[in-house]
Amino acid sequence: MAVLRLCLYVAGDSPNSVAAERNLRGLLASYPGVRADLQIRDVLVDPEGGLAARVLATPTLVKVAPAPEARVMGDLHDLDLLRSVLGLVELGLVSPEHGPR
Amino acid sequence: MSTVRRHDAALYAATGVPGFDVVAGGGLPKGCITVVFGGAGSCKTIFAAQTLAHGARHEAEPGLFVAFEESPQRIAANTAAFDWRLDRNGADVEVLDAQLGATVVQGGDFDLAGLLAIVASRVKARGVRRVVFDGLDVMLGHLPDARLVRREVFRLREWAQGAGVTTIITAKADPRDRGSLGDYDFLQFLADCVVVLQHRVEHGTAFRLLQVSKHRGSNHSADEVPFTLGSGGIDLGGATRLELRHDASIERTSSGISALDGMLGGGYFRGSSTLITGAPGTAKTTMAAAFANACAARNERTLFVSFDEAPAQIVRNVASVGIDLKPHLASGVLQIHSFRSRAANPETHVGRIRSLLEQHSATSLVIDPISALGQSGTEALSEGAAVGLLDLAKSLGVTTVCTSLLGNQAPLSEKSPIGISTIADTWMHVSYMSHGGERNRALTIVKSRGTAHSNQVRELILSNTGLALPDVYSVGGEVLMGTLRWLKENEQRRHAETSEREASLREREAEFRLAEVKARAQAALAEQALGEAALERIRLDRQSEVQRNASEHQMLRERRGAEESTEPVSGKSP
Repeated sequence: MAVLRLCLYVAGDSPNSVAAERNLRGLLASYPGVRADLQIRDVLVDPEGGLAARVLATPTLVKVAPAPEARVMGDLHDLDLLRSVLGLVELGLVSPEHGPR
Repeated sequence: MSTVRRHDAALYAATGVPGFDVVAGGGLPKGCITVVFGGAGSCKTIFAAQTLAHGARHEAEPGLFVAFEESPQRIAANTAAFDWRLDRNGADVEVLDAQLGATVVQGGDFDLAGLLAIVASRVKARGVRRVVFDGLDVMLGHLPDARLVRREVFRLREWAQGAGVTTIITAKADPRDRGSLGDYDFLQFLADCVVVLQHRVEHGTAFRLLQVSKHRGSNHSADEVPFTLGSGGIDLGGATRLELRHDASIERTSSGISALDGMLGGGYFRGSSTLITGAPGTAKTTMAAAFANACAARNERTLFVSFDEAPAQIVRNVASVGIDLKPHLASGVLQIHSFRSRAANPETHVGRIRSLLEQHSATSLVIDPISALGQSGTEALSEGAAVGLLDLAKSLGVTTVCTSLLGNQAPLSEKSPIGISTIADTWMHVSYMSHGGERNRALTIVKSRGTAHSNQVRELILSNTGLALPDVYSVGGEVLMGTLRWLKENEQRRHAETSEREASLREREAEFRLAEVKARAQAALAEQALGEAALERIRLDRQSEVQRNASEHQMLRERRGAEESTEPVSGKSP
């Protein structure tokens, strides 16, 4: 089973950071078959870590694996976009709305 | 007041942009936000980078450059041409790559909190005092609406004020189009200082302008100031020189005509502007060329701009009066450029002259004639262009001589066709004075600021050795020149000559008369001699007659003599 390695950079508990984490976790929860490794990193706590990852705007979601790396900037309210970026369709998985195959 | 502020390092951050701190009334507000607006290629990034480099290297204020628009490599390349280049891994100025990159997808509302945390971290780590956010509009353009853009700008301002660092934000906007600021219009209200940069290209000529449109608590100049790009970066040198002009203006520079220098109290003031008006053919161009020649001869870089007369034509024409421009053209110290006056609008011509001045680094300028600017476009536009041109030259500290064509219908009214006579420091008028059947050139100094100039009208004489302005004769309040003056000058001599001739004539007449008398006397003598001779002959004739009669009588007596002999003398014989 494919492993989805994700890293969400946030800025403390700013509203869009909180919204992004909620939206991401909600989507992942609807794919129980997907093994996702999600890290939340607070840039306010570790700015140098943010600089090293070249995170500019917060929140930013970085898909580390599978390659290629992809980034989504913003509160991730657009779930279709998020699915597309994370490659959930390509991974051969379907959303719960359509039911398991 | 501004002088005090100018040196108040606690309030203002020196930019290291020559002339800017003077224009901005001291520099950029320290610990506050300055917004730099400008279109593409208007040098926003260079202005910001130059200020940052200066602070780091000369003001002990380390800098951080946050590059939203270009990579650190590009920034390094773009500033490589300048003395203060920003290296990618410069120790004094850190360049932070803040490009979003092609892989980033915009997925809703975001904020700059993370970025500012990173910036704050670098500021703290390196003791940064100046931060540049270059191309903030690129980043904020990804936000879904204007309200969110505004929110992030406020967040940035809050951070900057809290951190107490001098902050420069650059953003793209076309300053000529008031509406183009769009979402970023409010930046102007939010910023403590607003700098607007313009880059115009008209008919292949670029010119650059800087304006400090807002500067809280400072008596800055809101004028649009021309600037150049040199090895030192942005240079508003002219504005600096404007400040120094008082010192410079004491210096005189030769007009190239020694008699005129005398009339003007030593020549033109350096950095001043001179207007020569006159009808066609009144030697305006020659006078201007004399000035250019004198400047070039002192090895001062000179620009001669001619309208509707080719460079070769000018060189040939002034050579006929002993002004040889060829060596100066060959050495490059003098440049002559000719334009067709109708080929472009006045503003374009001014733009061209401006860039030529910059390219040639000229300290002396001739425009022949500036009235050509009035031949296209509206009168107001051409006047504005001409005044702007003189203003520019002054601000650059360039000594300018311009000619202006002026009809000779009213030669004494001296009305300048475009109102540049007010801005010119010295105004000379050359007119034709028609008198005694000829036209002569008369030069008057109408005005010359700061100079006890001659009020006299002088005759302007052209010869193959140059220009001369001899003193004039004035008789009964009228200036005499040309033949009349020659007549006047020679009157005394002529008078003496006449008397001499008359005397000699009289002498000769007397001689003639005497000779005649003598001749007549000789003739009389000759007549006397003739008369005497005639008398003598008469006498001789008469004597010989008497003798002959006597002898005849004797002969007759002898024939009858015998009888008569007895009766000799008594006569009483019966």
